[in-house]
Amino acid sequence: MTLGAGRAASARLARAGFTEPERAAAALDTPLLAPLMADDEVMGALAATADPDDALQGLRRVIAAEQTPEGLVAALREDHLLRDGLFAVLGASPALAEHLVRYPGRWRLLAAGAGVRPTAHGLRQTVLRAVGADPAGAAPVAAGAVPAAVDALRVAYRDALLGLAARDVGGALEVADVAAELADLAAATLEGALAIARAEVGEAAAGCRLAVVAMGKCGGRELNYMSDVDVVFVAEPAVHPDGSLAEEGAALRTATAMAVALMRACAVTTAAGTIWPVDAALRPEGKAGPLVRTLASHVAYYERWAKTWEFQALLKARPVAGDMDLGLAYVAAVGPMVWRAAERPDFVTDVQEMRRRVEQSLPAAESRRELKLGPGGLRDVEFAVQLLQLVHGRTDDKVRSQNTLEALEALSTYGYVGRADAAELDRAYRFLRSVEHRLQLYRLRRTHVMPDDPVELRRLGRSLGMRKAPVEELETEWRRHAREVRRLHEKLFYRPLLSSVARLASEEARLTPDAARSRLVALGYEDPVGALRHLEALTEGVSRRAAIQRTLLPVLLGWFADAPDPDGGLLAFRRLSDALGTTPWYLRLLRDEGAVAQRLAVLLASSRYAVDLLARAPEAVRLLADDEDLVPRSRSHLAGELSTSLSRHEDAESAVALARAVRRRELFRVATSDLLGVASVEQVEEALTDVAAATIEAALDVATRAVETTRGSALPTRLAIVAMGRFGGHELGYASDADVLFVHDPLPGADDRDASDAAHAVVGELRRLLAVPSPDPPLVVDANLRPEGRQGPLVRTIASYAAYYERWSHAWESQALLRAEPVAGDIELGKQFVELVDPLRYPAAGLDEADVREIRRIKARVEAERLPRGADPALHTKLGPGGLADVEWTVQLLQLRHGAGVPGLRTTRTLLALGAAAEAGLLEAAQADVLAHAWRTASRVRNAVLLVSGRPGDSVPTDLREMSGVARVLGYPPGAAGVMVEDYRRATRRGRAVVDGVFYR
Amino acid sequence: MDKQQEFVLRTLEEREIRFVRLWFTDVLGYLKSVAVAPAELEGAFDEGIGFDGSAIEGFARVYESDMLAKPDPSSFQILPWRSESPGTARMFCDILMPDGTPSYADPRQVLKRTLAKAAERGFAFYTHPEIEFFLFSGAPTQGQPPVPVDQGGYFDHIAHGTGHDFRREAITMLESMGISVEFSHHEGAPGQQEIDLRYADALSTADNIMTFRHVMKQVALSQGVYASFMPKPLTDHPGSGMHTHLSLFEGERNAFYEAGAKYQLSKVARSFIAGLLNHAGEITAVTNQWVNSYKRLSGGGEAPAYVSWGHNNRSALVRVPMYKPAKGQSTRVELRSPDSACNPYLAFAVILAAGLKGIEEGYDLPDGAEDDVWSLTDGERQAMGLAPLPASLSEAIRAMESSELVAETLGEHVFDFFLRNKRAEWADYRRQVTAFELDRYLSVL
Repeated sequence: MTLGAGRAASARLARAGFTEPERAAAALDTPLLAPLMADDEVMGALAATADPDDALQGLRRVIAAEQTPEGLVAALREDHLLRDGLFAVLGASPALAEHLVRYPGRWRLLAAGAGVRPTAHGLRQTVLRAVGADPAGAAPVAAGAVPAAVDALRVAYRDALLGLAARDVGGALEVADVAAELADLAAATLEGALAIARAEVGEAAAGCRLAVVAMGKCGGRELNYMSDVDVVFVAEPAVHPDGSLAEEGAALRTATAMAVALMRACAVTTAAGTIWPVDAALRPEGKAGPLVRTLASHVAYYERWAKTWEFQALLKARPVAGDMDLGLAYVAAVGPMVWRAAERPDFVTDVQEMRRRVEQSLPAAESRRELKLGPGGLRDVEFAVQLLQLVHGRTDDKVRSQNTLEALEALSTYGYVGRADAAELDRAYRFLRSVEHRLQLYRLRRTHVMPDDPVELRRLGRSLGMRKAPVEELETEWRRHAREVRRLHEKLFYRPLLSSVARLASEEARLTPDAARSRLVALGYEDPVGALRHLEALTEGVSRRAAIQRTLLPVLLGWFADAPDPDGGLLAFRRLSDALGTTPWYLRLLRDEGAVAQRLAVLLASSRYAVDLLARAPEAVRLLADDEDLVPRSRSHLAGELSTSLSRHEDAESAVALARAVRRRELFRVATSDLLGVASVEQVEEALTDVAAATIEAALDVATRAVETTRGSALPTRLAIVAMGRFGGHELGYASDADVLFVHDPLPGADDRDASDAAHAVVGELRRLLAVPSPDPPLVVDANLRPEGRQGPLVRTIASYAAYYERWSHAWESQALLRAEPVAGDIELGKQFVELVDPLRYPAAGLDEADVREIRRIKARVEAERLPRGADPALHTKLGPGGLADVEWTVQLLQLRHGAGVPGLRTTRTLLALGAAAEAGLLEAAQADVLAHAWRTASRVRNAVLLVSGRPGDSVPTDLREMSGVARVLGYPPGAAGVMVEDYRRATRRGRAVVDGVFYR
Repeated sequence: MDKQQEFVLRTLEEREIRFVRLWFTDVLGYLKSVAVAPAELEGAFDEGIGFDGSAIEGFARVYESDMLAKPDPSSFQILPWRSESPGTARMFCDILMPDGTPSYADPRQVLKRTLAKAAERGFAFYTHPEIEFFLFSGAPTQGQPPVPVDQGGYFDHIAHGTGHDFRREAITMLESMGISVEFSHHEGAPGQQEIDLRYADALSTADNIMTFRHVMKQVALSQGVYASFMPKPLTDHPGSGMHTHLSLFEGERNAFYEAGAKYQLSKVARSFIAGLLNHAGEITAVTNQWVNSYKRLSGGGEAPAYVSWGHNNRSALVRVPMYKPAKGQSTRVELRSPDSACNPYLAFAVILAAGLKGIEEGYDLPDGAEDDVWSLTDGERQAMGLAPLPASLSEAIRAMESSELVAETLGEHVFDFFLRNKRAEWADYRRQVTAFELDRYLSVL
């Protein structure tokens, strides 16, 4: 060939789709191939393959391997079926090309007339003959040496694969047919391996009957090119000719040896390669159980021990090799149990768990390119279909197919799944399986990962018939189908529920009310009748709202089902929808902002408190749209917002009402960030404190203004509010009172009496305004910690405080003052107050023994007396052993004794002081950790109780529903309420042990 | 409905059983029973039978709603007492929360949990108890010392003795309920019997002990005598212990056996024993739970009062029985502190936990004691590092209070209840003016 001709050839090859035309041209430049190249038909066929370069290189090697290649070359020009088939295989599978090279002449398997689809029976005969066994025998035995038979099995397997691949890639087969034929081939191969196993075991083989039952994809006749083949072995002693039974122990030993030999015959790598691993791990007790069991032993296991997922696996059981009667008896015995699985008491929990497993499979980044396990992958479809089969197959045998696509079709035909959804899923599943097939065919490797190399993607795309822009087309198609699959639960589980209530104009079969109820129960709804009623109310009619809700509900139902109280969530959603349904932004928000709907669902189905707050002000739903909005607002932010809006209100009552509405909105914000796990307990309590402080500050401003208006002059005194107790410690709960002290200081020259009257008027007005009845949650301002308690004046001058503390102060008052922190009013006066009380709460000389004794005595008394009647001390978060009071008193005693010397102790916050105490060596770091953990645990439980029930409660709930709700809010998985209580008890028991060691001695 | 359940229902019909007793055990080890008619049983298998937990010691306050007793069909047995006609059967139950999760208050669950922990490490726990008890004439009368049915001694065979007949009938009855008896004989004290149950997994053994106690009382009743498992009913005679042989298996293999090691004890066995010794004090309140238990434990004789182990030493807390050649599978250790009135579920749980702890932490086993621990002087014992076991319920409570091991094992709920109950028992006991005091002081002071 001339140089010019070479260049022309390259150009022609490049146009034909070769990526390495020079290399191709060089390869073609042989006496045998050159004439082929001239043939446009041949070249066209080559160019049409998935990878023309691979195909050409393969062809070159196949021809080179032939002793008389002329025959092949001639055949290629004449037999276009052979040509198409051979080129298709060579372009799609270098692994099979290797087989052709290795075994010259095998190309004849693809010649015209050879490309007929074999039956399962035919495959069995072919494989058995290949290992020298008689297919007609009841128990065929391989002939000759075992290693030779093992090699022959491999060759026979690859030969059959070759024919299948040619028809598959050539486009003659539907993906489901490919999968079915692969399963038939696997069955034939298992039969061949069993024949080898019989030869290996020898005469003893006659002493047992062994059945090989396929599970998984092989059982469902939906196998891949390359995957483990799941099987279960069943054996029985053989019946002797005289009718007696062989000894069972010996029979089982033989059967086990045969099973082992069978698995080895398939999996072992010899010079002829390997086939696939046989996986028997789905057997009873998994890998720990005996490999082979008798039928009775299998049955006994499934009756007593099996888990729900094991029944799910059994759904696909199908006898494929060995003693067919025994295999059928096995399926007949365990088959019915599959359909009783849904009656098992833990079925609902198991289903939930399996469902979560589907959803959470492989969260890691690499999972994004997983065809099988990634989100929107094959297993999603398979799992979901199987679950629906378990739920509905119990009462309807029409949906009991072993094959995923057939089952999906049946579920759709009989109304368990929407027709359009089923069709779409069917397409997605077929697409994903085709991709998987081509991917695995290439090297005959077990892979499910979509390549990211463009060359590989191009080949893959072309093998699927995408010609113009294979890479882009493939990616787009894949993403589209995966997206459809990801919305699977909505489609398969929930949308059909609507069809049972909604009067949709469609001829489609509907889910019957009975089926809808059993499905709702399986999904975790306790009152399916009520749920269907709500669904009906939410979806009926032709309004835009009903239309949008029909789209939203299938998704929401799933989210409710994942939360502690699905029924409550649905009811709350219905109420919210009644309140807001006509508000334009509401539905838009839910429809367009995915996160909002999900967050809303979590709140509604977890927290009465959030539901109640929303009921009063549904528009707060808007907060859910933006992550920024879930971050609790700072004190200064709130103060700014309040002061600008309050200045617009002349009337004191409406001004404070506004402040309280702002507070309500902020409470919802905090509750939301708490429920969604965004905020820690410290952050939640800090935020609640800020909200209370800002509200009180605003109320103080309004009250001052009102009093000044009445008086007609400015106040003759400076006024400050000092936070005490948990309020002072920045540790408020959702329903805590705000403990405060009021202090004032008459301006120079003012009349003391007048100043005091004015201060009292302001404080009185403040308390009145905050207590005006309103639907907003009340903020109780409690001043009972003031000197002389309720007998004492509500407001005192700073001088009066000084005089009082100088003369009368008790140890417990010093202790209470540890929490004092100015929160509103005159800043200077607040500072003065702090200066006044510092020497009291951090006495330079520490505490004398009498004071220490007094504090311990009071504490011991409080423990005994304050606990409400009938309360279990061990579960009381506030007063129980190791509870909040225990930890706080322990810390406070350390503060009183050592605060003067250890600056870190001079804080109003429990955890900070605890840390400082540990740092100063006042208790061991480990002890401080135990106390901090107990304190946090008790605080979190107390907050969660309120969130769940909407009512304040100091005890770990003993009502199981509430207990479960609290556990879920605290982040425990479903069904772990008992674990939560145990953890609580443990944390507080250990806390108490430290309190005993630190506080009481 | 599975086959086991079907079997139960079919048997009820065939044998004309009118009542089924559902058995479970409270935290203190008392057997509780709910009788249901066969018709209700089907529902009980599915959902359990609701009952008011607040009436049962240690069950109250886990939650307010009813608890569920769910019968275990594999424990189905027809009760063989002749007096019961028409027939009665029994099943043991697991106690569940209303949502179907296991209750933390159920002693059976405590043991199951601990066994599961052992199983995670590949161990199965087997026990074999030697249960001692007394036969007295007639029912107990307040204030009167009990009268033994005979004056026999260890291994005495008393012709026509009540004890002999009693043991024969009792054993027949046990065997008919599927409980295998290894051995039985007259024990050292008058009226005292010993019956050894064949070794079995700890859960079955605990179930069997509960059945055993009930059967003994029934048989005694039918013979006009009274069977008591009180640890020390007679001041001047030894009390009733429940020496328990313990072994761990890994699959088919006895994990305590190592050919050629000293006493054929494997490293696992040595660490297990070390665990028992190390935590002996903490678990005593559970293995010996009554005020009266300590009258036996501190009363000398064969009861162990000091933490020690020895090869075939009957005064040691842990005895390693004489090794029988070619019986590697039977290698075991014997813990001699438990008494017959313990809650077997809780006792086995803490014993196993202590031993496992020893294995986990790889405790070293100190040298064994070869002397009779009782015959040593206090000084000698101190020199040899032999710590005393708690000498009273009060001491035992104190040792248990600070035990993370026992808290972890029993679970916080049972731990808390148990301690509260035992503190109350001790307080009640302390305020008693006893016969001892009256006898000794009234006439002279």
